[in-house]
Amino acid sequence: MVQFIQKNSFEATQIEDEWIILDTDQYTVTRLNELGGFCWLKLGEAQTVDSLQTAIDQEYGADCEKDSIDRFLTDLKKCGLIRHAI
Amino acid sequence: MIKYLSMIGEHTIQITVQSAICLKIQNLFNSINSTNQLTSINVKIKFGYGESFTDYQVSIKKDANKISFQRSDYLIESTPDYTSATIHVHDELALKHALMNLYSSYIVYHNWGLLIHSSCAIENGKAHIFAGHSGAGKSTAARLSEPRALLSDEATIVKISENSITVFDSPFRSELPSTGYQQPTPLAGIQLLQQSEKIRLEKMRKPDALLSLMDKVFYWSHDPVETQRIMGLLRTLVEKVPVYELYFRKDPTFWELIS
Repeated sequence: MVQFIQKNSFEATQIEDEWIILDTDQYTVTRLNELGGFCWLKLGEAQTVDSLQTAIDQEYGADCEKDSIDRFLTDLKKCGLIRHAI
Repeated sequence: MIKYLSMIGEHTIQITVQSAICLKIQNLFNSINSTNQLTSINVKIKFGYGESFTDYQVSIKKDANKISFQRSDYLIESTPDYTSATIHVHDELALKHALMNLYSSYIVYHNWGLLIHSSCAIENGKAHIFAGHSGAGKSTAARLSEPRALLSDEATIVKISENSITVFDSPFRSELPSTGYQQPTPLAGIQLLQQSEKIRLEKMRKPDALLSLMDKVFYWSHDPVETQRIMGLLRTLVEKVPVYELYFRKDPTFWELIS
């Protein structure tokens, strides 16, 4: 199972119901909603699609589709915020 | 060489300068009587450096004991905590920009506040900031605010703490010279300017406000730690003070929406 983890050099700020992730190396900004921010914090440690799905279920009591989590991880990877964990 | 004391924000600056140009410098940075406050920043100013302003490109070098900022018309050599610096400048414009560079670095490093690209006027004892991209109308808003007193017309000095947000009289003026020292004033709101035929005021969501203000901060260093401090300060700022989009045309009627 593929594992993902945050890259380094980020400053994450929560304000109202959003997270603003500042990449201090690339000088890019990514905005996440509350659920995205929750997943982002989890990605401080290596996560799989399955482990994130379980964590979301435990926190919110919601059954999040694996496809949605997969798309979210693909987007984060495109933004340069996460990498494959070795 | 002559030494004298000046104030920027709530910080005492000891300026050392060649006697021949001391008066010229004192026009920009007033002399104050000695205070019982400790000197925050020691600055030695030397003229005769480089060439006239060509562009805003600043190159930065940093090691354990020193940080330097170099532009075609100025060179700042400072301790890493920005408490002691020598500034080599070509002319008065270079001196103003170099001191803005040094002072902005100092207040971010010490987590005191931010220097924001904006004008600021006082209405009923409260400060109102007008920010925007270049040409959005910061100076125009300041000019249309007469006879209200101005705290700044280009670079606003904002002290940011959990308890209060306060604007200090700025010596970094562009077109509108100071009409006399204004006391520190609590900040009531920030207006991001958009020119429009129809005037209206719309409160921004805090995440939008924070992101819109990021490129309004005067800052030069690319140190991730200091970028994080700026984010923290901006977050406190938008948590404490409302930020609006102000659609305005070039007449003073926008004040009816603000006050």
